Amino acid sequence: MAQQIYDVIVIGTGAGGGMAIKTLCEADLKVCALNAGRRLDPEKDFRFHRMPWEMKFRGLDDPKHRGESYGYMDGEYTKAAWEHEIPFTTAPGTKWMWPRCFSVGGKTNFWGRSSARFGDIDFHAASLDGYDVDWPITHDEISPYYTRVEKMIGVASTVQNRPSNPDGSYLPPFHFRCLDRILEAGSNKVGVPYLPDRCAQLTQPHEGHPACHFCGECTTGCDVGAFFSTPYFLLPKAEATKNLELRTNALAKNILTDENGHARGVAYIDRKSKQEVEVYGRAVVVAASCVESARILLNSKSRQHPNGVANSSGQLGRNLCDHLYGESARGYLPQLVGRPPFPDHVGDSTIAWMPRWQNLKDPHEEKFIRGYSVYPDGGCGDFPWIANELDGFGSSYKREIKRRYPSPVSFGIQAPSLRSDTNYVDLDPEVKDPYGIPVARLHFQWDENVLKMWEHSKQVCADVLRASGGVLESSGGEPEIPGFSLHETGTCRMGNDPKHFVTNRFGQTHDVPNLYVCDASVFLNCTDKTTTISILTFSLRTSEYLIENFRRGEHKAA
Amino acid sequence: MAGQGIQRREILRILGTAAAIAQFPGFSKWTFACGHVGNAVLQIKPAVYNPQFFTVAEYALVERLSEMIIPSDATPGAREAGVAEFIDFIVFSDPDSQYAFRTGLTWMNAHSERLFGQRFVDLTPEQQTSLLEPLAYKDKSRPGEADGRIFFRQIREFALNGFYTSEIGFKELDCPSLKMYAESPECPHKDDPEHLHVSHPIS
Repeated sequence: MAQQIYDVIVIGTGAGGGMAIKTLCEADLKVCALNAGRRLDPEKDFRFHRMPWEMKFRGLDDPKHRGESYGYMDGEYTKAAWEHEIPFTTAPGTKWMWPRCFSVGGKTNFWGRSSARFGDIDFHAASLDGYDVDWPITHDEISPYYTRVEKMIGVASTVQNRPSNPDGSYLPPFHFRCLDRILEAGSNKVGVPYLPDRCAQLTQPHEGHPACHFCGECTTGCDVGAFFSTPYFLLPKAEATKNLELRTNALAKNILTDENGHARGVAYIDRKSKQEVEVYGRAVVVAASCVESARILLNSKSRQHPNGVANSSGQLGRNLCDHLYGESARGYLPQLVGRPPFPDHVGDSTIAWMPRWQNLKDPHEEKFIRGYSVYPDGGCGDFPWIANELDGFGSSYKREIKRRYPSPVSFGIQAPSLRSDTNYVDLDPEVKDPYGIPVARLHFQWDENVLKMWEHSKQVCADVLRASGGVLESSGGEPEIPGFSLHETGTCRMGNDPKHFVTNRFGQTHDVPNLYVCDASVFLNCTDKTTTISILTFSLRTSEYLIENFRRGEHKAA
Repeated sequence: MAGQGIQRREILRILGTAAAIAQFPGFSKWTFACGHVGNAVLQIKPAVYNPQFFTVAEYALVERLSEMIIPSDATPGAREAGVAEFIDFIVFSDPDSQYAFRTGLTWMNAHSERLFGQRFVDLTPEQQTSLLEPLAYKDKSRPGEADGRIFFRQIREFALNGFYTSEIGFKELDCPSLKMYAESPECPHKDDPEHLHVSHPIS
């Protein structure tokens, strides 16, 4: 029996894979997509409109299982959607949190939705401050792709003319809440920006998708698709072409190569039957997310690729970067004490941002290079956390909780680690997953530069809070452990020199011309911006480059 | 039930497509919140609750402490929200917390016997308050009561979790996430960005 050969095998259906799948299918290429988990059923799996008292453990999760949780999104509302079977390890001294969603659509089902473009200040940071190397791209080149993605997914924001943040095309922004007006006034006094974030939440109906109903539960999934996710925005378009075969519970194991070292398909584990299955294609796109993609490629050893496929540079898995997250300052606004409750929660933390203001005129004006951004948030949420901070009990306590409920504010930092030889992922030589596949091992420490940003942010955020008339309660905590942000980048960095980079400037691997990478692993570093919109944008560009290669006959079509 | 879910999604979709049908401050979220699953079940309470973890005497103490932490006054409190049952269920489900609760409740009674010669639940409300105050307020704390302060903090946290995740707790705060909105809600005090002149209606 003749084996079916697809045009392209795509590993992963998150932002990167989803965009590749849609783009390739619409160009009439036959695509087989492999997804490590199942399809979510919005009816059962998205519990976002359930009130806590309708959940067995009030949304606080079964205490017995809390230790198994990989992170803050992985709770009672969405636990079933997150991966718990495939383990990973950390090198001695490394702490790493790695929440992974193997369900179809990946983390786009629950993502934070902040969607700022990278700019030339990011792409050419090395030329400015002398550290590391530039990206092999300019904002002018990538801008048209960003514009198309912004139109596709819908991003609410304003034109802001910030030197570190290229503007795009936007839906009407979120309105500022009382707490935003107050913090904006304080920020102006201190001289730092306070602006509407760029939030991929639909403030009006967009491209056939309904507007947001502002229930404020986005990170437990939206079952009307009022913010971008692959299953609502991209996969239906791909499926409409009839060019897509989506295989679920298909855990990619390694890339198959031929005698020339070219990719000829993918071996995966069918998690239902526990059998290894091979699927063949003329080209392969890896988009399993940064660390997982590196693991698959490192596990793809052959005579031609003894250290893993596309690793002649030795850079595969290296250069891991991540966003340092943490609460730079916390306190409350006396102006809001005793006010009627206000719906402050409708955009999670993505209504406002304080986009990078450091090192803009002179790359060395601060004690650190590059820069960070801050997400302020607060007000009325689902739970009056402030209660735990107050002394007392009884009627006066109960009344004080209600009075203080609208008033808390906090500032969350998003700061990029710098590329380092000691931050990387490799295969654990001993530990294997339940299918016998070596697991990923993380080596990671925060660098001095990012920790200086952390200290700097504590000072500035405390100043902003005080200048806003607020009361500072805490500004001295520890940052979250690495991995918390879900913004890891850099294990398959792109660059022109095959000796130093895994892929070329289009995400095509230098060693294997029919193997492409479409996720954040091609990014040179993580910048101060979030990753998803850039994953979508770079994936769109890579996918069109791949299509062009098919048209030119480089990968022969079916 | 599945049919209801689809209908709910359709309503949300229609609302989202024809914005501004619903006017700020929104409409009730729980109309659409799979209420058929939870409300009916959780609000039927047996006449006598049989604790799963605590002894009957321990449970009476948990009940009393919960009611003192979040009393029923002008608005419903821990009693109406079933907080003691919640604490029993969570401690039953969480082996890591069981030792602390058992020894903490024992400490409370031993301390009560020491001060007033009776178990906590048998004290007058004034005596109970005078026992709890040094545990609950930093500026009233007394030496030798560290274990009690730690336990009080723990049971208070569990009581808060139980109360403010209940429907009664959400209503107590008039929690805005009970509602959905046709537009992103906007600060109404445009002429006063620093909010220096807004009145404070709740005292």
